[in-house]
Amino acid sequence: MAESQSQEDPRTQVEAASKAFEHEFERFARFTGQSAAVHGLTLDHAESEQRALAELRTRHLGKKSVLANCKKSIGRVATEGRAAFGQLVQSREAEIVSAIEQAETKLKDHIQSARTLRESIDVTLPGRRPRRGHLHPITLVRERLEDIFVALGYAIEDDREIETDFYNFDALNIPPNHPARASQDTFYTIEGLALRSQTSTVQIHAMQRRGAPVRMIAPGRVFRRDTPDPTHNPMFFQVEGLCVDRGITMAHLKGTVAELLRRMFGSKTVTRFRPSYFPFTEPSAEFDFSCFKCGGSGCRICKNSGWIELGGSGMVHPNVLRAAGVDSDEFSGFAFGFGIDRMVGLMYELDDIRLLFENDVRFLEQFD
Amino acid sequence: MLISYNWLRELTGTSLTPLELRERLTMVGLAIDAVEEKDSDAVLDVEVPSNRPDCLSHMGIAREVALIESGKIRPPSSKPASAEGRAADLTSVEIRDTDLCPRYAARLVRDVNIAPSPAWLTKRLEEIGQRPINNVADITNYVLHELGQPLHAFDFAKLSGQRIVVRRANAGEKLKTLDGVERTLDAKMLVIADAERPVALAGIMGGEDSEISIQTTDVLIESAYFNPDAVRRTARKLGMDTEASRRFERGADYEDVLRAQNRCVELICEIAGGVATEDAIDVYPSPMPTRRIAFRPARVENLTSLNVAETDMKFILTGLGIAHTEESSAVWKCVPPTWRIDIEREEDLVEEIARHFGYDKIDSELPPSNQSGELQPRELKIRKLRRTLQTLGFDEAINFSFIEAAHDNQFELIPELNTEDPEHVFITLKNPIIESEVRMRPTLIPGVLNSLRHNLNHGVRSVRLFETGRIFAKLNSGELPNEREALSLIATGGAGEENRAQALRETDFYDLKGSLEAALAAMNRGPLRFTKAQVKHLREGQSARILLADGTPIGSLGRLAESVSDAYKFRQPVYVAELDLTRLLAAEELPVQYAPLPRYPSVVRDLTILVDRQITLEELLRTIEEQQVDDCRGAQLVGTYEGANIPEDRRAVTLRIEYRSDERTLRDEEVEERQRGLIESLLRQYSAQLH
Repeated sequence: MAESQSQEDPRTQVEAASKAFEHEFERFARFTGQSAAVHGLTLDHAESEQRALAELRTRHLGKKSVLANCKKSIGRVATEGRAAFGQLVQSREAEIVSAIEQAETKLKDHIQSARTLRESIDVTLPGRRPRRGHLHPITLVRERLEDIFVALGYAIEDDREIETDFYNFDALNIPPNHPARASQDTFYTIEGLALRSQTSTVQIHAMQRRGAPVRMIAPGRVFRRDTPDPTHNPMFFQVEGLCVDRGITMAHLKGTVAELLRRMFGSKTVTRFRPSYFPFTEPSAEFDFSCFKCGGSGCRICKNSGWIELGGSGMVHPNVLRAAGVDSDEFSGFAFGFGIDRMVGLMYELDDIRLLFENDVRFLEQFD
Repeated sequence: MLISYNWLRELTGTSLTPLELRERLTMVGLAIDAVEEKDSDAVLDVEVPSNRPDCLSHMGIAREVALIESGKIRPPSSKPASAEGRAADLTSVEIRDTDLCPRYAARLVRDVNIAPSPAWLTKRLEEIGQRPINNVADITNYVLHELGQPLHAFDFAKLSGQRIVVRRANAGEKLKTLDGVERTLDAKMLVIADAERPVALAGIMGGEDSEISIQTTDVLIESAYFNPDAVRRTARKLGMDTEASRRFERGADYEDVLRAQNRCVELICEIAGGVATEDAIDVYPSPMPTRRIAFRPARVENLTSLNVAETDMKFILTGLGIAHTEESSAVWKCVPPTWRIDIEREEDLVEEIARHFGYDKIDSELPPSNQSGELQPRELKIRKLRRTLQTLGFDEAINFSFIEAAHDNQFELIPELNTEDPEHVFITLKNPIIESEVRMRPTLIPGVLNSLRHNLNHGVRSVRLFETGRIFAKLNSGELPNEREALSLIATGGAGEENRAQALRETDFYDLKGSLEAALAAMNRGPLRFTKAQVKHLREGQSARILLADGTPIGSLGRLAESVSDAYKFRQPVYVAELDLTRLLAAEELPVQYAPLPRYPSVVRDLTILVDRQITLEELLRTIEEQQVDDCRGAQLVGTYEGANIPEDRRAVTLRIEYRSDERTLRDEEVEERQRGLIESLLRQYSAQLH
C-alpha cells in the first residue's frame, strides 16, 4: 500500500488525506466555531464523541497516518518542488490539528461542566456522623463538683451502700430513738442492715482510714423511704464534704461552701448560713444561696424569697470525731452535705425529678 | 407550727413587724416558711428544729424574740381561781410505772358550765388551725399552744372509783379514743386508768368515755410528764400523731407541769365558772437530775472564729435562761433551763451564743491549703469509660438499686456473684417502698431492659444505653453483703444516627462487642477474650462469655434470648452485655512502652480457606501462632463469607499474614515457602480447603 501510494503524486495523496479528514470530521464540525453545539449533549454522549475524536486524531495524525507518511517522504521529493510540498503538508496538518483541538477543547469543557453538574451534591443534607451519646445530668454535675473540690485540695471517697447501724447512725451521733432510724424513713434488709441514708457514713470510714487531718468529699447514692413524686425519689445522689484539721472554724466552712457555690452558679452568688439542727454537727447551719435566676429579687425558682435552700452543714460533733478515732481536743472540722439531684433540678429547672431515673433518651439527650 | 403575731406581741411587746420577725427568727434558726395576714393578725408558720420542743409554743418563740430585741417576756396572767377544798380529799393519783411517767399532777374544778368558748378564744384557736370544741377542751388546747405543756380534762364523774392510776396497759386491753377508734393496746403502752379501765392513752389522746360533754360538771385537769421514747413508740405503733404526742415525744418541760395546770384552772374558772381545789395532787417521786456543763468561753472563737465579748456571752446565756457562774476566767459552770433539753454539752452552748450573736458575723475564708486533691484512680478510669461510650453513641442511664423478685432466675449473674445456690444470693429489703421491688439488684440488666422498654414504648426504636453502678449479693452469714461495681450495655435498632446522609444499618452483635472493646481499651484494660458460651438470658449461638487475658471470666455479651425479649414485648433484636467492673479495674493495667519502629518492610500474603462453620477465628489464629513460622508477625481477619457457592456447613475465611524480618528485606521465595507451610498445617488441622 505504502509502495503504491509512494508512486502516486505526493500532492494528490496529501489532498486526498485532507479531503478524507474533512469528510470524517464533518460530524464534529458542530463543536467548532463560535456557536459550538455542545449544549444538550448528555455526558455519556459527549464522552463517546470525545473517544471518537481521539480515534480520528490517531487515524489522521498518528504515526501510521497518510500525512505522517507524506512527511517522511518530503526528503524524497525533487529538490525544486520540495519546499512547496513541505509547506503543503504542514499547512494541511495544521488545519487538521486546529480543527480537532477546537472540537476537543469544546468537548472537554462541556464534559467537565456536565460532570461537575452531575456530581454536585445537596450540601444541606445532614452530615454523616456516628450517633453521639449523652452523659446523665447527675454525672455531669457530680463530675463538676468533684473537679472543684479536687482543685481545693480534697480527695474523692466512697464506700458501702449497705451499711451497719454503726456507720449509718451511731457513729453520726444519731440517738437510738431518732425518727431517721425508723423503718418508715430508712430502708433495711431482712438481715437488719441499713441502706445508707446519707453519704456522711463515708466521713467515718475516711477518718478511720486516713486519720486526721483529712479533706474529702463523698458523692454517692443514698436511700430514703420516700414514695416517688415530682419532688421525691426513694434513691438520690448526695455529696458530703469533710475537712478536719487543727484550727478549723466555721469561717472555713462558710468560705468553702461560698466558693463552691460561686463556682457552680456564678461569681455574684451570695451564700447565707442559718442556725439549724443536725445530730452530727454542733454548731449546725443550713445554707442558702442567692437565686441564680432572679439574682435575689424573687421568682418562681426561689419561691419569691430570693434565696434557694441547698444543704446542711456545721462543725463536726465531738462524738462523731471520737467515733472515728480523732482527738476532738486537737482537731476540729466542718462537714456539709447537699443533694446532687436537687442541684440538677435547680440548674436545669426540672419540674419532675422522677425523670432522672426513667432514662428516657429524649430527656437524656438534652444534656451535655 | 403556726404562731399568732398578736399573741406573740402580748407575750413580748415586740416592735418588729411580722416580716421583720420572719427574717430575724430565720436567722436564729427558726425558719419561717410563710407569713399569712389574717384579719388584723398575721400567722407565722415556724419550722421548729426537731431538737427544740421548747419552741412548740407561743411562749417558746417569745423567749427567742425577747432575746432578739433585748427585751423581756410578759408572762400571761389570769385572775386567781376561786378555790375550795384539797384535791387529795376528793381523788387520788397512783403512778405504777414511774419509768414511763416521772410526774403526774391532778387538780379538780367543780361546778363548771360547759358551753362554747367566747369569741376571742375561738378566734385565736381557729387562726392557728385548731378546731374549737367547748370551753374546757379549748382552754386546755389554748394553754398547750401558749406554754407548750399538753393538758387533758376528764369528766370526773365518769372516772370509776374517782381515781387516777397511771400504769402499763394489759396486753389486749381496749380503749376507744376521742377520735372514735377502738384501739387494742399492748403491755408496753402506758395508759391513764381509773379504778377499772384505761381512760386515756398517756400523752397521746383521751378516751371517749370520759370526754367532756354538755352534762359534765366536775373536771379533772391532768398535767404530767411522760417518757419521750414511750410516747413515741406507742404513737408510732398505733399510727397516731397528736399535738400532745408531738410535744411529749420530743421532750416537754417537767418543771412547767404545775404552772401550766394553774394557768388552765384559772382560765376555766374565769370562762366556764366553777370552783377549783386549792391545790393539786402532784406525784413526782424522784426529781429529774440537773444538768451542769463546764463551758470554756474561748471555745466560741475556736469553733466559730467569732470574737464575742464576755459580757455579750453572758447576756445571751441569761436571755436564754441559762444560769452561769465563773469557776475561773477560763471555765464557767452553766445550768440550762429545764425546757432546753437539747443543751447537753459545751458545743451546744457555743451554738447558742453564735446563733444569737449572728452567723452572718462569721468571716468567710478558705482553710489554709496543705494537701493536694485527688480523684480516685478508679474514678479516673470510669470517667474514660463514660466518655468513650458517649462517643460511641451510648446514653447514660441511672436506675433504682432495687428490682423485683420476678427477675430472680431470669439472668445469669456475673461470675463473682454466680453461685450454685441462687436462693441465697439475694439481698432482700424488709421495708420496700415500691412493694414489688424487694431485691437489691444483683444485676444491672433488668434496669436497662426497663429503660429500653420505656423508650420503645415512646416511639424511639434506636436505643443505646449504658449504666454503671453497684450490684449486691449475700456473702457468708455474719459478713456484710458483697457490693461490686458493674457495667451494663444495651443496644438495639439502627447502628448509626437516623435521618442523615447515610444508609441505616441494624445493630448487631459486633456493634456491641466493638463498643465494649473500645471502651475497655480507653481504660487501658484488655485485650478481652470472648468465648462461645451458654448464658441463661442470651440467645444460643449469639452469646459469648467475656474473659480477661488470663482467662478469668468477668461477664457476658450477646443477643437477648427470645424468652426474655418476649416477656418485655421487644419486637426487634436486642443486644446486652454486663461485666464486673470491680474485677476489671483490679486487673493489671497494660504497660505503655515504646517499641522500635520496623527497619525493614513487611510482606503480607492473603489466604482464603473453606472451613467448618463451627471453627472460630480464635482457633485459626491460635493455630497460626502455634506454628511459630519464622518471621511471621501475626494474622488478621480480612473477611468471612458464607452463602451461595459454599456448602451450608462451611464458610470462607480470608486471613492476612504479615512477614517481616528485623535483619533484612525478605525475598519473595522465602515468604512463599513460609506461607505454604502455614497453609498446609491449617488445611491439615481443620480439614479445610483453599478457596
